[in-house]
Amino acid sequence: MNFLNAALLAGVAALSIPLIIHLFHKSRFKIVKWGAMHLLAAVLRTNQKRIKIEQWILLAIRCAIPAILALMMAKPVWQGAKQMLGEQPTSTAVLLDNSYSMEAERAGTKNFTIARDETERLVGGLKPGSEAYVFLMGEGRGLLDQSTRDLSSVTQALGKVGAGYGVARVPAALDFVAGTLDKMTGNARQVVLLTDFQRVSFPASDEKLLGQALERLKKLKFPPNVTLWDVGVESKENVAVESLDFSKLMVGVGQKVQIRANIRNYGDTARPDLRVTLKVDGFEKPGTAGSQLSLAARSSGQVLFTHVFDKPGSHVIEIETEADPVKADNLFLASIPVRDKLTVLLVDGAPGATPDDLKGETGFAQIALSPFASGKVEQADLIKASVVPAEGANAKNIAESNVVVLANVAKLNDEQIKALELFVKQGGGLLVFTGDRTDAAWWNGPFGKLAPLQIGGTGGDPNAKPGTAAAKVAAQRFGHPSLELFNDPRNGTLADAEVKAWHKFKAPERTGGPDDPAVLARLDSGDPFLVEKTYGEGRVIACSTTLDSDWNSLPARPSYLPLIQRLCVYLASNVYPPRNLQVGEQLVSFLPAATAGKKAVLTLPDTSTVEVPIVKKGERGVVEYPQTQRPGLYKLQVAGGELVHYVVNADRAESDLNKMTETEIKVLAKTHGLQVVRSAAEFKALDKVQRYGREIWKPFLLILLVLLFGELILQQMFARGRRKV
Amino acid sequence: MLGGCLVRAPFVIPSFDIPSFLMAHVSDFLTPTDLQRISSLQVLARVVVEGFTTGLHRSPHKGYSVEFKQHRQYVAGDEIRHIDWRVFARSDRYYIREYEEETNLRSTIILDRSGSMNYAGSKSGGVTKYDYATRLAACLSYMMVHQADGVGLVTFDDKIRRYIPPRSKVSHLRLIIDELEKGKPGGETDLGDVFHDLVPKLHRRGLLIIISDCFGEVANFLKAMAHFRHARHEIVVFQIWDRDELEFPFRGWTQFDCLEQDGVKHLLDPAMLRQAYLENLANFRDELVKGCRKHHIDLVPFCTDEPYSKALAAYMTRRLGRA
Repeated sequence: MNFLNAALLAGVAALSIPLIIHLFHKSRFKIVKWGAMHLLAAVLRTNQKRIKIEQWILLAIRCAIPAILALMMAKPVWQGAKQMLGEQPTSTAVLLDNSYSMEAERAGTKNFTIARDETERLVGGLKPGSEAYVFLMGEGRGLLDQSTRDLSSVTQALGKVGAGYGVARVPAALDFVAGTLDKMTGNARQVVLLTDFQRVSFPASDEKLLGQALERLKKLKFPPNVTLWDVGVESKENVAVESLDFSKLMVGVGQKVQIRANIRNYGDTARPDLRVTLKVDGFEKPGTAGSQLSLAARSSGQVLFTHVFDKPGSHVIEIETEADPVKADNLFLASIPVRDKLTVLLVDGAPGATPDDLKGETGFAQIALSPFASGKVEQADLIKASVVPAEGANAKNIAESNVVVLANVAKLNDEQIKALELFVKQGGGLLVFTGDRTDAAWWNGPFGKLAPLQIGGTGGDPNAKPGTAAAKVAAQRFGHPSLELFNDPRNGTLADAEVKAWHKFKAPERTGGPDDPAVLARLDSGDPFLVEKTYGEGRVIACSTTLDSDWNSLPARPSYLPLIQRLCVYLASNVYPPRNLQVGEQLVSFLPAATAGKKAVLTLPDTSTVEVPIVKKGERGVVEYPQTQRPGLYKLQVAGGELVHYVVNADRAESDLNKMTETEIKVLAKTHGLQVVRSAAEFKALDKVQRYGREIWKPFLLILLVLLFGELILQQMFARGRRKV
Repeated sequence: MLGGCLVRAPFVIPSFDIPSFLMAHVSDFLTPTDLQRISSLQVLARVVVEGFTTGLHRSPHKGYSVEFKQHRQYVAGDEIRHIDWRVFARSDRYYIREYEEETNLRSTIILDRSGSMNYAGSKSGGVTKYDYATRLAACLSYMMVHQADGVGLVTFDDKIRRYIPPRSKVSHLRLIIDELEKGKPGGETDLGDVFHDLVPKLHRRGLLIIISDCFGEVANFLKAMAHFRHARHEIVVFQIWDRDELEFPFRGWTQFDCLEQDGVKHLLDPAMLRQAYLENLANFRDELVKGCRKHHIDLVPFCTDEPYSKALAAYMTRRLGRA
């Protein structure tokens, strides 16, 4: 306990006054020569002891009265075990929630506006000499690089901050701030968290992390007072575009693309006529723009759009719903690179007499990859396939291709293998089919780096008559992007093809890493049919049987064309780093090696630009930009190069504006020993208590009144309550 | 008439040489404090009694209770107020009522001079209970002697200190007054034993006027009274109180020193005991009243701040009311 007016504590000495008065009166007694002693003595005999005790009680109360009065006037404050801040400057860390849920508003005022203004006032009102640091939770970064005593710079920077960022993760923010606080110089510290108390920011799964983060704060040399400031006015109505589904495979010019928009209504009000629009590269396309969706309360729905890109390059699609208070989640962007043509180099291990000869290993594949050209139909094929014999494959034609297909190739020389390795390493796709010419020793030896699995032997009989084949592709559910198509029976099934003979791949040695080979499909004999392996930036898929009909009946099946096409498109799609990112994921771009050393210009979502260096990595130039905290469209431009779009989307978890109840907030605060305030006035009162302690003069006043009345009452009671003689 | 004793009436103002200034200042409303200035008991008694009797004659109450002797025929010059109108109503003739000559009343004043009678409270103006008692005794003696009644005096504390047998001579009054003046209170009280010793001395029945505070064992006191009553004495007890004894008004720490026993002292805060003391006092008085009533004893409380004549009038009215 401490005292605000400690000097008045000297008044406690006044407890001696009643004692002195008592002794004084007792010493200065009157003497009465008394005649009726027999009446007096009788009373004394029966009450003497009790009188003494009662006199002591009354004396104690009379001494206590001035002492309690002095204690009360000294303004006691209760501070517990904490040291009080008093008037000293503080080191203050403010965690400001600027996630996009803070854009929710009521009566025209956003939660974030309230939070930002209160932060400005809080920082502006700190004692001279204080230092401050503001952490923006939605962005995961500090407002300024480090804490500062120049409080005006903090308030100025706050004026430029907006909401609309990603999910606010409280434990991570507290952890970050703990590190910052540790470097601050003052020993009077406080942490203030301004948030709307969305449930998603305080999930039950993060309870342990939150506890650990707070524990870390407590273990600092000067543990801070932690205050939670509830700025959230709950706004329950919100509709969000949750996600877009579209083909992850390469899209070509003229190809129809299906875009499925997933819309969710988080509110309690149904939205029967919700308009959902599609924009491509900023324009609403006539005929494809609007779509109506009916959503019940707390439900989700989908809208399907289709679009055909007529130009190659980087394109951006936007799905937008009608506006509501939280605008950030009404829009969902996606970057879609569109290819003009996909070049596939078919390396034929046993070519026919002519390139179109179906007797070669690649005849059927050539037709499957370019069906319109093969059929001389005036329609564009996405894939342009060229055929070379095994010895015709070289570094040039390999490098110029998007995908290389080896069909029953016996061997390749070292230069060819080197070229292939470089090709795949740099992101190229390699599709390998075995056959009767496949040399297992070569496959397992020189080709071993690229081969997903080693060959262990063969299975089946290549001379088996139709209907007596040893195996078929096992009927299974495919999870691989290139095979997902066949989960829908309408797209054909691989299981109806007979496989007369195949190479048996050995079981892989697994390291548990991402480069471990994966079996994409099996034969019903249990042997792998399709296997995949990552090599560098590219991938290799190997098939255990032939590309043509020598060892199987696949080319005769309807599933053959989509299988070959999908495998090639899949292998070609890996060339680019992802252009659709989540908040915080690094933006990466591959550029020609010639651009290395130069700078690329990156336009941010707020239209500001930054220059990003192009670094040479391997055989290419690479741009890396990690600061993708702000959701939106990023545009990367290299002088003389094409504009590439990158889209950063925020996790839609913030779209659920469901707020913690008051009871839950109280329990949270109590569990972790935190304080909760809801207004500037409450914060001010709490600050006062934290600085000076909780004034507890009122209980002392109560005690004083009890003693005063008690003394009067007891005196009357004692006087009346004498035992009769 | 009280228990068979006859009371002479009417009072006759004795033919003494009463200074004229005293006659002019006689008043039965003089307080004991005022009368304190009169140092001589005899003078004081005279002033009080004469003032009292003067007031009596002015009082509308005519006459006292007297013994009727006979009727005689009215002759011119008789006072009309002595006509017996009942006889006239019966006989149509005027007759005067004549009264019996009073026989001599033997009174003995028994005065308590124990230590407790030496108490003078804050409102008594310095008049101790003993002072008051002696003045009262003097007034009574004066009144009786001048009615040709016999009056005696006994003073006591823990034993009989002085016994003056009853006489009706005026010169006897001097003896009594002298004893009253020189007596000094002190010593303890033992009413029971003292009265027990007194019974054989008072072998002729008469009126006993006990002037005391009656402090002590009530049972012993009543037992002694029973002895007197058995000897056919009439008893009147004038219980003398001081106002402070009745109200116990003390404030602040006080040391009460016993007037009867040396070394008995009690230092206390009176406020803590007041209520209990008053309850104890009430019980004591109640017990005494009940006991006296049982033995047909008049118990008349006096407070030292009350005028003597008021006390005398209150007493005499009570006696006449029963005659």
